Amino acid sequence: MKKIVTLVAAMLCVASLFAWPWSKKKTTDLNAASGYTFGEEVTFHSDKPVTYPMFFSDASWYAMQDTWKTEGIFKDIENLTNVHLDITSFDSGDYNQKINLAINSGSAAYIIPKVYEEGQYVAGGGVVAVSDYTQYMPNFTAFVKKYNLEADLDTIRQADGKFYRLPGLHQATAPNYTLMVRDDIFKAAGYDVRELEKTWTWESLLDVLIKVKEYMVKQGMCKASDYIWSDLWCGSESGKGSGGNLLKLMGTSYNVLSGWAIDGSYGGIKWDEKKKEFYSSSVSEDFKKFVTVANKYVKSGILDPETFTQADDVANNKFFNGKTIIKSTNLSQMQSDIDSVKKIVPTAEIYVTVYPAGTTNKLSDGGRLENGVMLSTKALDELGEVEFIKMVRFVDWLFYSSEAYSLYKWGPEGKTWKWGTVDGVKAKVLLPGYKCGGLGISGSDTDVDIRLKWGYAGGNFWYGHSTAELTDNFDAARKDLYARFSAYKVTPAVDPAAKPSEDEREQLNLWATPLIDTINTWTLNFVLGNKDINKDWDAYIADCKNKNVDKVVKTLNDIYKKQK
Amino acid sequence: MSNKKIENSTKSLKFKRYMRKNWQYYFLLAIPVIYYIVIRYIPMAGNIIAFRRYRAGHSIFGDEWSGFKYFKQFIGDTSFWRAFRNTLMLNVFYLVVRFPITLIFALLLNEIKNLHWKKFVQTVSYLPHFISIVIITGMIRELLSTTGPINALIKHFGMEPITFIAQAKYFPAIYVISGVWQNLGWGTILYLAAISNINPSLYEAAEVDGASHFQRVWHVTIPCIMPTIATLLILDIGGLVGSGAAFEKVFLLYNPMTYETADIISTYVYRLGLYSGNYSYATAVGLFEGLLNLILLTIANKVSKRVTGSSLW
Amino acid sequence: MAGVKVRESTGYIVFKVFNTLIMLVVCAATLYPFLYLVAQSFSSEQAIIMGKVSLFPVDFNITTYKSVLEKGEFLRSYKNTIVYVIIGTFSAIVFSCCMAYPLSKSELKGSKFLMKFIIFTMYFGGGLIPTYVLMRRLNLVNTIRGFVIPSLLSTYYIILMRSFFQNIPKDLEEAAEIDGLSPIGIFIKVVFPLSMPIIATMILFNAVGYWNNWFHSFLYLDKKEMWPVAYYLRTIISGATTSADPGEISAEKMQIAANIRSCSMVLMALPIICIYPFVQKYYVQGMMLGGVKE
Repeated sequence: MKKIVTLVAAMLCVASLFAWPWSKKKTTDLNAASGYTFGEEVTFHSDKPVTYPMFFSDASWYAMQDTWKTEGIFKDIENLTNVHLDITSFDSGDYNQKINLAINSGSAAYIIPKVYEEGQYVAGGGVVAVSDYTQYMPNFTAFVKKYNLEADLDTIRQADGKFYRLPGLHQATAPNYTLMVRDDIFKAAGYDVRELEKTWTWESLLDVLIKVKEYMVKQGMCKASDYIWSDLWCGSESGKGSGGNLLKLMGTSYNVLSGWAIDGSYGGIKWDEKKKEFYSSSVSEDFKKFVTVANKYVKSGILDPETFTQADDVANNKFFNGKTIIKSTNLSQMQSDIDSVKKIVPTAEIYVTVYPAGTTNKLSDGGRLENGVMLSTKALDELGEVEFIKMVRFVDWLFYSSEAYSLYKWGPEGKTWKWGTVDGVKAKVLLPGYKCGGLGISGSDTDVDIRLKWGYAGGNFWYGHSTAELTDNFDAARKDLYARFSAYKVTPAVDPAAKPSEDEREQLNLWATPLIDTINTWTLNFVLGNKDINKDWDAYIADCKNKNVDKVVKTLNDIYKKQK
Repeated sequence: MSNKKIENSTKSLKFKRYMRKNWQYYFLLAIPVIYYIVIRYIPMAGNIIAFRRYRAGHSIFGDEWSGFKYFKQFIGDTSFWRAFRNTLMLNVFYLVVRFPITLIFALLLNEIKNLHWKKFVQTVSYLPHFISIVIITGMIRELLSTTGPINALIKHFGMEPITFIAQAKYFPAIYVISGVWQNLGWGTILYLAAISNINPSLYEAAEVDGASHFQRVWHVTIPCIMPTIATLLILDIGGLVGSGAAFEKVFLLYNPMTYETADIISTYVYRLGLYSGNYSYATAVGLFEGLLNLILLTIANKVSKRVTGSSLW
Repeated sequence: MAGVKVRESTGYIVFKVFNTLIMLVVCAATLYPFLYLVAQSFSSEQAIIMGKVSLFPVDFNITTYKSVLEKGEFLRSYKNTIVYVIIGTFSAIVFSCCMAYPLSKSELKGSKFLMKFIIFTMYFGGGLIPTYVLMRRLNLVNTIRGFVIPSLLSTYYIILMRSFFQNIPKDLEEAAEIDGLSPIGIFIKVVFPLSMPIIATMILFNAVGYWNNWFHSFLYLDKKEMWPVAYYLRTIISGATTSADPGEISAEKMQIAANIRSCSMVLMALPIICIYPFVQKYYVQGMMLGGVKE
């Protein structure tokens, strides 16, 4: 009897293997791995050596060397997984255009990392709808489940319900851009920034700045006609003509999409939680409030109007010079900014603040998704589905496993780092003789930079992951900044997104570009005082209506209602 | 033999004689013509996507016919027409200013007798041509900033500093003046080459006739280089609706506050394409530009033929 | 003719003075920015940030030059460029003449059609993608040919050359024909020597064009070992315009010397400017017209 039961059970198991819909079309068992090992936090390893072509965004300030392939990161990957990556690198400044060209002309590599915008490739069929394959990715699915990233993933789903980019996943939103100030000057003027930043708003900051400037003028540190804030990332190059970083930080704290945030927003479109519909934040009362505050900064002689036209290094030089006392910065630039000021003004003390709140103290970015990886259809065609899934599992290990993350961020344990203590806490420590620009760990001139020599901590990988992993190279100052951000700021909820079809997207884009142009022109004119916010408000609204803002809102709402 | 047959045999005889005399010309033309066909004409077939819907990675000839959809799209777009107007205005303004100045400067250069001084001035005047546009736009912004030298001068006279870069009305002047500065010297090269081809005996003859220096320039130099002047002018007129060459310069100098006069066709199409990669639209616009330019060129050519006798065909 | 000299009028003397003044102004206006950039390239980072540099270097040093020149890639790209420019310019001149000379004979059957044929290509092109696909299919990617061929023949230049050829007095060519020379022979022996000004100009234009060209490298040269100077330097100072996250790129760019732009500009411009003096001698007015005199 027992024998029969066992036999039947075994047959049922085998039968269920065939019945289970592993994939929609095939009858072969795609979930089984033949010829390789994989799994959640399991090292991917292929029995036979295999080669996958991959694109690589090569940043010229740590250009790829041959040593990366012979003894560095790519060799490490090959040693562990038996996968040889055939790298075609493009200069980072041209990367987007080159992969665009390659994909559009049918000569794309299999793996395409560092992709920020995949929208343009969706309709073409040049890249695979990766959401169909995430079921084969244990590390990816585990992370999504653990940190509830389903809603975030929804924001990159297209009209067909699939997404085409495997994004970098963050456990928590990582704040990046903020403001830094000359702490020494603020202290001398009688202000404790550490206290102020706990509750400050853009308006209270302005009052402080006005008083500080008075102090500076009295001390002869500057003239009454000088500006003490001249910002970067807002000009025509990096600011993209929209008022860039500063207006994004300010605007989002008033619930308005402005500056960098207006790109791709079809015209400042946000979701109204209460009314459950889309609206344009650029024509709302919030916008009026936001722009009034920004204008006050310029009117009171605090914010230099040239902020919105000058080049980044001109703005930076003013701060390094000691001419300005506050400017924007971000995590990667923080340290070099501080160093640059100290070189010219050795007595300066810099404090990196948590930027002020507006009507809300929400962070300017709520998304937990980062740039990501696309897989080309060429790979699927040339490999066949079974081998393609093998590659998918390799990608899963490379971009979503903790082992790979540590490998390309720090290098192999023992070769470049070991466990030590930093400020009394167990942490990773670079071995003596090494430094790393990518991790912000400086050293002497004779130290070997592990990024320059072996490609560790480069910019194509290690996006996203758990907060613990993300911050494992942070020094005390940065950890403190992170802590303050989570204490003083609130992470906004993710807005739902309408998913237009190909034709709808084309139409929306045709409306959106002139509309966003108009909004940007008026925004800048309001902020600079060329147009009066109260007197010209109606003209502004009329101009936006003229540029189809109502049509855009209605179309998006219709699409959203249909897709539910 | 019938008349027809005689005609035919004389025709073929004529043809054989013609080819015996001239075959070498056709031989020389062979490779360049092949080049044009392969490198220039074959890709032109790709323009068909202006009338079809193009999708990345699929056929480069597009997937389905979309007729004049893309043309209708930009024809109905007021922002497009603003860009068109700006393109035309900037190009015309630039041509009208630059063309005579370059010619006059070439003639003046020619008047320099001291060879060393002449060489020096020429080489120095070419320098701006070699400075990359990124650096030049950076210099322009520095020059015109509220803390820059021009505004320092303005403040000296007691007036309010002017934010040149942020105001639409200054953009055309900035564009043209900086363009003239950058290309003035370089633009004289062709004229100088033409002038050095003039037969000196013509000058001597004029001298004998008692012509003053200026009369010699007016009656000898200018007529002799008229074909060059005409050719250059015709070609320039054939570029008045073109916005490709100016893209980088405008892109680096403009901002939303100056779109009104600064936004040209290529920068507008660029912004449109940022999130959609819509090649069909861009190609349709390109065809439109090309057609208009060709019409302008033909008109200029005809007029030049009548007025100066020299033309392109 | 000897002995008879027209007396220079006072008007002419005034003009000469005036002309010299104008030239001085032009020189100042064009030289100053260039000198400023050269000065900046030799100055220290501190001085630049403080805005102290105007005409002369402050804290003279060559650190940025060293850091650029020390990279083997830079010298390699320089070598590449020289090769590309020589091959490109030579081929361009040869084939442009091949086309411009026959086209200058307006009696030649088909010349009118061919003019329109090539002028058409100035206004209607294939666009980026079809040309790119074609170049790939022809296996021209990552080759010297791939860099040289796309801009080998320029209709604009051919038209100019043709215009010059047409200006050569017909009797010279006819005399050569009577002497029994074939068309190619006439070209080599008569037309070409007399066209030195325009040939020199074309050499200059083509050489400068190839020297400064980075677009074709961007499109067709993926391998770093093949990059010319123009593209290599551009990658070092590439702007943040096309980046999706401008802050990320500009952040780390700050670690690059403040004067990298002016250094790379000097390194790019100087060699090609030096070509001009060699080409200058072909612009001497009034070449001797051989054995034919009126």
